[in-house]
Amino acid sequence: MMNTFYHIGQYFMLMARVFQRPKKIKLYRKQIIYEINSLGLGSFGIISIISVFIGAVITLQTASNIDSALIPAYTVGFTARQSMILEFSPTIIALILAGKVGSNITSEIGLMRVTEQIDALEIMGVNSASYLIVPKIIAAVFINPFLVIWSMFIGIIGGYLVAQFSGVVSTDEYIYGIQYAFKPFSIVYAMIKTVFFAYIITSIPAYYGYYVKGGAIAVGSASTKGVVSSSIVILIVNYVITQLLLI
Amino acid sequence: MIELKNISKSFNGVEVLKDISITYQRGKTNLIIGASGSGKSVLTKCTVGLIEPDSGSVLFDGKDFTKLKIDEKQEIRKEIGMLFQGSALFDSMTVEENIKFPLRMHTNMNEEEMKERVNFCLDRVDMKGVNMKFPAEISGGMQKRVGIARAISLNPKYLFCDEPNSGLDPSTSILIDNLIKEITEEYQITTIVVTHDMNSVMEIGDKVIFIYKGEKFWEGTKDTILQTTNKELSDLVFASRLMKKIKSTS
Repeated sequence: MMNTFYHIGQYFMLMARVFQRPKKIKLYRKQIIYEINSLGLGSFGIISIISVFIGAVITLQTASNIDSALIPAYTVGFTARQSMILEFSPTIIALILAGKVGSNITSEIGLMRVTEQIDALEIMGVNSASYLIVPKIIAAVFINPFLVIWSMFIGIIGGYLVAQFSGVVSTDEYIYGIQYAFKPFSIVYAMIKTVFFAYIITSIPAYYGYYVKGGAIAVGSASTKGVVSSSIVILIVNYVITQLLLI
Repeated sequence: MIELKNISKSFNGVEVLKDISITYQRGKTNLIIGASGSGKSVLTKCTVGLIEPDSGSVLFDGKDFTKLKIDEKQEIRKEIGMLFQGSALFDSMTVEENIKFPLRMHTNMNEEEMKERVNFCLDRVDMKGVNMKFPAEISGGMQKRVGIARAISLNPKYLFCDEPNSGLDPSTSILIDNLIKEITEEYQITTIVVTHDMNSVMEIGDKVIFIYKGEKFWEGTKDTILQTTNKELSDLVFASRLMKKIKSTS
């Protein structure tokens, strides 16, 4: 328990250093563009594959579980849309990125620590925490909403393809369902979650990488801790935001 | 000039540095020697502020580094160049970008001026034509030389070298040692070299400080070290047959 409080305290102390005003902002711009490409666009493929299959499976499962004639067929499309927008795209994609992007961030920063590259930055009079972590946070907070919107779109397309080729529901009913009782606030809610999750999946793994001590084994262990911790924090924050915004 | 006054440091109750006081002279190559685990690297890290000492003070030309605010420390660090044991070049950047990095951070030079400075520094360490190579594409000895080029890019007043010869063949080691000595004398830098390489001691040791179990045990020069009667120092310096032979003939 004390160990958890120690990490929380050290994390917030690191964040205080991370958000100190940088001396040369233009040096951060190049890094931010590099990170948008590395953290965001590099995840485009896996997000597309996962989203299309999630949308397809939701459609199949919903269709196969509706037995009653009292439940209209368009419920399948409605459920696919709601599930993708409210939960699967923002949360599941965040958990996947916590694994993919999070482990990458911990390894990268951790390796810089063990090879003394972070010490070299400090010796040069550079705020290493800010220089290494801020571009990653800004890049993820900027690009992840686009990734999540893409995931919602491609997930719903996945459901449409199932309707088209398996015949579990007609495409007309599916399209009616995805438009039925649409509340634009659902998108706002998903975007708010996405921004929080983007911050979590970059800052927590960065924290574990920044304080690595030892060699390659320690970097691997820190990478695992970073992914596990950020995943748990995502689930807790998901619950809190949902309670605050939807209830 | 750098002065260390009564520096002590413990980790988890184990005293690693015990009340160490040293004066490093300007324009001289000051060597810290000692066995592995004796506290040499911790002492260097305390000096440059990468580790906070538990007590004592570190004076850079009279300014107490341990009492400065972060911003003020960063101002002094602009005057420090450091060559790390593993070179610590940024592996995502080319050699040229590595040397440009401190210039970008701390000067208002344009691209052309920076390029000129990079070429000057590379020329100084005899490394022309490797500008666009990545650190992984050059040898360990070349990485050390690029590390020196990066360290001198801002014309530092203080140069720290942590085991500059580790992992290098004897001829490259001598090359690096001589380069450090030349740069120190040419630019009148206060240079501190952490090493346990006795060749370095004999080549460039203007001042030699021996650290034993966290304490300063001996201080002298490369000329006086051969006559030492200090048992612990003798055990370290004359561990090899070659050094024993040198002692017997001196």
